Amino acid sequence: MNVELVHIHKSFGAVHANNDISISIKSGVIQGILGENGAGKSTLMKVLSGFIQADSGDILLDGKAVHIGTPSDAIKHGIGMLHQDPLDFPPMKIVDNMLIGHDGGLFPNRREVSKSLKELQAQFGFNLDPEAYVDGLTVGERQQLEILRLLWLGAQILILDEPTTGISASQKAKLFETLKKLAEQGMVIIFVSHKLEDVEGLCHKIAVFRQGSLVGEAAPPYNTDNLVEMMFGKVISLDEKTRLENCEPAVEVTNLSIEDNRIQIRNANLTVNCGEVIGLAGMEGSGQRQFLRTLAGLMRPVGGDLRLGGKRLTGKPYHSFQDAGISYVPASRMEEGLIPGLSITEHFILSEGQSGFFIDREKAVTISRERINTFNIKGEPVTRVEALSGGNQQRALLAMLRTPLRLLLLEHPTRGLDIESSIWIWSQLKDRCRQKTCIVFISADLEEVLHYSDRILVFYNGKVSQPLDAAATTVDQLGQLIGGKGF
Amino acid sequence: MLNKSSAGFKFGFQILAIVAALIFTTVVMLLAKAPPLEAYKLIFTGSVGSIGKISDVIVAWIPLLLATSGLLLTFAAGLWNIGIEGQITLGAIFTTWALRLLQDTSMSPTLIILIGFLAGILGGMIWASLTGLLKIYGGVNEIFGGLGLNFVATALTIWLIFGPWKRPGVGSMSGTVPFDNLLWLPQVEGLRMSWWSLGIGLIGIAIVYLILQGTYFGLRLKAVGKNGRAAFVIGIPTGKYMMSAFFICGAFAGLAGATQVLAVYHRLIPAISSGYGFLGLMVAMLINYQALWAAPVALFFAALNIGSIQLPIVLKLDSTLSGVLQGALVLFVLMMDGVRRRLTAKKVK
Amino acid sequence: MKRLWLFASLLLVAALLLAACQPAAPAATEEPAAPAATDVPAAPAATDVPAAPVATDVPAPEEFIFGMLLVGPYNDHGYSQAHYEGGLYVEENLPGAKMIYIDKVNSADRPGTTPAQLAEDLLSKGAKLIIFNSDDMKDAAVEFAQAHPDVPTIHASGDSSWKDGVNYVEMPLFGNSFGRMEYGKMIAGCAAALTTKTGQVGYLGPLINDETRRLASSAYLGAKYCYENYAGKSAADLKFKVTWIGFWFNIPGFTSDPTQVADDFLNSGYDVVISGIDTTEGLVQAGKAKAAGKDAWAVPYDYVAACEESKDVCLGVPYFNWGPVYLKQAQAVKDGTFASYFEWLAPDWTDINNVDTSPVGFQKGAALSAEAATSLDAFIAELAGGLNLWTGPLNLQDGTAYLADGEVATDVQVWYLPQLLEGMEGQSVSAQ
Repeated sequence: MNVELVHIHKSFGAVHANNDISISIKSGVIQGILGENGAGKSTLMKVLSGFIQADSGDILLDGKAVHIGTPSDAIKHGIGMLHQDPLDFPPMKIVDNMLIGHDGGLFPNRREVSKSLKELQAQFGFNLDPEAYVDGLTVGERQQLEILRLLWLGAQILILDEPTTGISASQKAKLFETLKKLAEQGMVIIFVSHKLEDVEGLCHKIAVFRQGSLVGEAAPPYNTDNLVEMMFGKVISLDEKTRLENCEPAVEVTNLSIEDNRIQIRNANLTVNCGEVIGLAGMEGSGQRQFLRTLAGLMRPVGGDLRLGGKRLTGKPYHSFQDAGISYVPASRMEEGLIPGLSITEHFILSEGQSGFFIDREKAVTISRERINTFNIKGEPVTRVEALSGGNQQRALLAMLRTPLRLLLLEHPTRGLDIESSIWIWSQLKDRCRQKTCIVFISADLEEVLHYSDRILVFYNGKVSQPLDAAATTVDQLGQLIGGKGF
Repeated sequence: MLNKSSAGFKFGFQILAIVAALIFTTVVMLLAKAPPLEAYKLIFTGSVGSIGKISDVIVAWIPLLLATSGLLLTFAAGLWNIGIEGQITLGAIFTTWALRLLQDTSMSPTLIILIGFLAGILGGMIWASLTGLLKIYGGVNEIFGGLGLNFVATALTIWLIFGPWKRPGVGSMSGTVPFDNLLWLPQVEGLRMSWWSLGIGLIGIAIVYLILQGTYFGLRLKAVGKNGRAAFVIGIPTGKYMMSAFFICGAFAGLAGATQVLAVYHRLIPAISSGYGFLGLMVAMLINYQALWAAPVALFFAALNIGSIQLPIVLKLDSTLSGVLQGALVLFVLMMDGVRRRLTAKKVK
Repeated sequence: MKRLWLFASLLLVAALLLAACQPAAPAATEEPAAPAATDVPAAPAATDVPAAPVATDVPAPEEFIFGMLLVGPYNDHGYSQAHYEGGLYVEENLPGAKMIYIDKVNSADRPGTTPAQLAEDLLSKGAKLIIFNSDDMKDAAVEFAQAHPDVPTIHASGDSSWKDGVNYVEMPLFGNSFGRMEYGKMIAGCAAALTTKTGQVGYLGPLINDETRRLASSAYLGAKYCYENYAGKSAADLKFKVTWIGFWFNIPGFTSDPTQVADDFLNSGYDVVISGIDTTEGLVQAGKAKAAGKDAWAVPYDYVAACEESKDVCLGVPYFNWGPVYLKQAQAVKDGTFASYFEWLAPDWTDINNVDTSPVGFQKGAALSAEAATSLDAFIAELAGGLNLWTGPLNLQDGTAYLADGEVATDVQVWYLPQLLEGMEGQSVSAQ
């Protein structure tokens, strides 16, 4: 089946996520869609798979215009999408999971489903037990299940959105093999990724997106520098990092052991120099969050030592950590970071120290205006934080940080933000580093970790790697570590 | 423009809620075969019909206002201080205790009254702190802790009245022996109200308004109430602030109890709280926790309470009818608010 | 938000419950006498005056409103209803009289109000006479009378206007009325003594105060006298035990459960229970015991029709009849002759059950045997003839002398009886 997308436009408020995109893909082709986070790749794929509607433009299948209003329309037309977060229903058996979204009548024939599942598995060398529960599967296995499900539902066009995030190298190899096989059978595979090496290694054709536009297409043999330039609009050199030399260690973590009901971390060691950025990588739930919260003083370690500028903080209450110059910016902004119902100004008042008993509102509003300007927050001093967009909430959180800080801890500082905000936020963070603040952050975005960290700690199931020099680490190495290889 | 229209929208819904509550109450009255118009008229004249009636309304208003004031702080901290009834009661018990200890000494009555107030505040605070400790350190939800402590407070009152503090030879539902007139808060000539307690009530709500509007403490309390986790991360010791809210609310409740003893009943009686704690919860909900409205709405509720006394006299109706109206008001205002939210949410979509 | 709704729905339930209770109240308007009295003052008066059809221009009697504060519900089949019916009696018998009342005047039922304040409400509705019916309103009655020295005020059961009493307060228009229930209790005690087979009589007491001590003791005196003089047994063999529950009615968790106390009596050889409380548990439990095949009898209290609840065990009931008491005072107010007074009224010995004359009565019950009834009548006749059981020698419970041989107790001695009498079991003063 041939797919054509013609003049697709899609805006979210002021953001033009897809700006006049036209692309045509022939049957049997693996089409790569490359671009940074927020470049508009996912939006286009959601349009194609019926999750969202384009503002204008057409979708042609084998030259015929079709209307795709919902995901089930999409699957009827043979379009199946594999999401970044697999859309399965965890506490269920595999076989039941398969039945969902299938027009099998009121009484589905489970035995038949089991049988066809086995046949499909045999074809691709998968090995999933139909009676197993979905929540016991690894991310890679869930992906396999989702592919099987879409094939079984009759998908002719398979869209994969960042499928290599969070799977092991062997699973990735198997996935690529499967995709190639499917393409040989005449299917269209659309492979969306921001990872150069993945698209280069797999795709027959690459379309590069930047800031909502299709900036170019490439065919093998690929020129990596060329692709990077298209992606970022400029040649990116990773040597932009500013490193402060001759700076004594600011944070010392010795044999730190952390336990909660999910995870155990044993004997983690880390020394952070002032002005240094440490990225924490790993699959969600590998222990990096617990580690960060322990550094913040929100969790008590069960063993080991934590020092800031030589001062021992182990076992001290949270406010001692704050007083020592440690700040924590949580990922769940509206749950742990900001207070819905209070205005931007009130947040600034809260984060400032108290002076006197009564609040000087006028002064507070003046300060608030200044910061709103400095941090480029789209809002008024009286705007309630829940009315701000995600990016502006994150800016507000950063604007609340005290100065000076010795250690800044961030969880997913740019998650959900558009590219402009992300870049701006990192510029702010880098400014902090120049003022000798250490930064430790968690991100699921390997590019971000590699790009902004000086050194990287990888977490896998509570184990912590030795600090890696970010400059000397590749995405692939990092991916392997995240998948548990090399511990 | 949008702001203005939505404010008008909100106001309209509130009017609608009040109308709905009136209709509901009217239907209840019709079901009870009572003449609604006559009843409303009686409530009105019974509450503002004469200087004496107005003064009685004020007497009921002050403890209600104090209780509401305290509750605004616990509500700000996200706490449901149901235990306020017990806190009022303990305030009254402590005041009575102080007066009993001091009434036969040579101390000046003014000083004794002052100590009585302070003792009441202390009593309310102690009782509130128990709820707070149970909540913050014992993990007992403040609603259950408060309810339990309310029962204990009632039992304690009755035990005192019929036990250690009973009148010579007689245990009586009418309470302990009344205090000497010298230990009464000075009343306005010929009326039951006292300028002093009126002052205390107004200063009380003014203080709460200031705390909530203008102080770091109030803002932090609100932060704790609206999002305790974020408030903690920002660096507010949430437990401490919740405890403070309980303490201050307890102080206000205790003051209400002290007023009941010093200015209204002049003794300890079995139902010394007069239900003002629960009524205060209703007022606080009705005004959507805005301190500015506490005084007028509490006054309205007090007027309903006093005015409804006419119902049994003239119409042989139960005066709990005013309770029906009060309850219906709160309910319909909350309900209409919910409806409004849904509607506006849809509009935005 | 969720909690808010939970609370709101609780409120709704509460509101509906209150509403559900409503219909009970308006029933008042359907009482036979009430509607006539409430609306057209002239109309009922007209029917009351036999001469009306004949006389051409009988002037419509001037309206006379009197107000009453009842501690309990007006229809409690007990103390408050006795007052309420006394008020109805005044309406019937005093031309132009109209009663307005507030019932359930106690801090639990009417939070935030004081009896004095409610009395002012009655006053503002035109009442020319205010009646406080309960001992619990003593302070409020005095407070009210002092604030309104020009308003005739009666406090039933009180002693504030008794010059000889210990609580005397001088007030110009304040009266105390109370019936000498001592006689009623003596008759009750006598009926019990004449009936008991085991020689054990139980007295279900409310709380301990002057009044309740003297009433329990009166019952004992009556029982002792009849046991010796009519039953022909030795007074030493009569066991008379008082168990106080702690209040006039059951308050779960605070008072002893009267049902339990009555059962304890009936299960430990006491076959007659005399009630001193406002509710009828003693009678009800005796009825149950009898149904279970035991010998059991009871004497209720306060209200003339109290026996109705369990006739076959009821020996009779001592009751108050407030009608003539209040009629006299209302008339005095109307005539402008009302002045401060204290009265402690004995039954009309010519007929203690005369509605028009006797403030205290004793209505015999169906369970009283014909033989016992005859003896009881004889005893009543003796009382009418001047028999005074409050005559020495009498000792207090702890053995100290109360009355010397032949000494007759003064009213003050009886009213303020400090202990139970010798020979009675049970507490004399409440434990601290």
